[in-house]
Amino acid sequence: MLRAKNITFGYTEKKIFEEISMTIKTGSITTLIGPSGSGKTTLLRCLALLERPESGSIQIDKDMYSWPWPEEKEFILPYPKLTTVFQQLFLWPHMTLRENIMLPDRLSGRERKGARIQLAEMVEMFEMGDFINRYPNEVSLGQRQRVALARALILQPRYLLLDEITSSLDVEQVAKILDCLKHLRDKDIGIFIVTHLLGFARDAADQVAFLADGQLMEVGGPEILKHPKSKRLSRFLSIIEAAS
Amino acid sequence: MTILDILIRYHSAFLEGLGVTLRLCSIVWFSGLAGGVFLGIMGGHNPKGWGRFVRGSAFLFSALPALVILFWLHYPAQAAMEVVIDPFYTAALTMSLINLFAVSESVRQAVVDFPKQYIVSGRVCGMSIRQIVRYIQFPILFRQLVPGLMVLQVSMLHISLFASLISVEEIFRVAQRINSMIYKPIEIYTALAFFFLLVCLPIHLFADFLQRRYTRDFSER
Repeated sequence: MLRAKNITFGYTEKKIFEEISMTIKTGSITTLIGPSGSGKTTLLRCLALLERPESGSIQIDKDMYSWPWPEEKEFILPYPKLTTVFQQLFLWPHMTLRENIMLPDRLSGRERKGARIQLAEMVEMFEMGDFINRYPNEVSLGQRQRVALARALILQPRYLLLDEITSSLDVEQVAKILDCLKHLRDKDIGIFIVTHLLGFARDAADQVAFLADGQLMEVGGPEILKHPKSKRLSRFLSIIEAAS
Repeated sequence: MTILDILIRYHSAFLEGLGVTLRLCSIVWFSGLAGGVFLGIMGGHNPKGWGRFVRGSAFLFSALPALVILFWLHYPAQAAMEVVIDPFYTAALTMSLINLFAVSESVRQAVVDFPKQYIVSGRVCGMSIRQIVRYIQFPILFRQLVPGLMVLQVSMLHISLFASLISVEEIFRVAQRINSMIYKPIEIYTALAFFFLLVCLPIHLFADFLQRRYTRDFSER
């Protein structure tokens, strides 16, 4: 279980969010929605331990991380048990897409025989066969997004944090990736996804969280998108639906 | 007397001069590249301490003309310290310092500007810092730095001509001495140009090989 308790994050005086608590269970999909600039990506980075909150704690299975962090205590990173796919993808430019996917697995020392088979399956599933041997700058953003997801998946994480990874995909690819996420949930992976896809949140999420004005305004099942309790979420949903 | 005649007649003097030039450059290239890369990495990872030292020193050595530093170290510095140092070593020290701080500033800048997201994506994929440096940071920096550093080393070869002004018997001084004896400036300086082409050609070919082998356009479409 990935559990955040009362985490507060800010830059000097300005708080991005305060006292956020949430739980991401394995075998579930949690979607985080909210207006631009509300701190969704920062919250994801805190959950991934890439940003250190001012206060609060994050528990990843049996490992507990509390802030302020005691100086003498060793900070054990939870990767790749927990891994992240960023909106900007961050594929390494000097390697082919195949090398991008395989390098972390190869260096993990696990020497998994199944990695190549898994890669072949992912190549087929994400239709990457035509471009897998090219370099990141030689393919489209949508193709890079699929590769970034494949790079995370081949590590067989227990928790997968995704930041707007479907933003540049066409409808067909989005559907494929969302199907894949449902499939991963069935494999007992805990998925946390920052998204604007309300349809996906409604259909597939087990938990939906709405972040605005530095607070988690609402957390609950997908039904909160149909019957929002807070005015802020209501307004957000009406704006999104009007725009779409 | 043709160029070939001059080369045949004075070949031992030319070869000796070329030997001195290459010895001088070898010291400058090795110390500059090894020390500069080390200092640059230190400066990149410790911006307030080593970083400031590297930036300050690089500014100093790039702002002052090489000839001024060379003369200063050869005449007033040695007079002040009441020592006499072989001009070869004075030239080697001067050029090494110039190369060292030029290389270190290039490396420091590249380390500082290295996109942190590549490191972060390595971390979240479970790679250790050592693996990230070896497989991600070093190859990208190498590709980025190779062309500039090779050009810098060629310019160090050219600066080595200044050593002749403090009586180092390198190839330019040998050419001048031969010219003072037979007065054939066109032939002698053409022969000198030929020698420099001969030395620079493998460096250029090596740089070209590295560029073709390792550098490519990373810009996204």
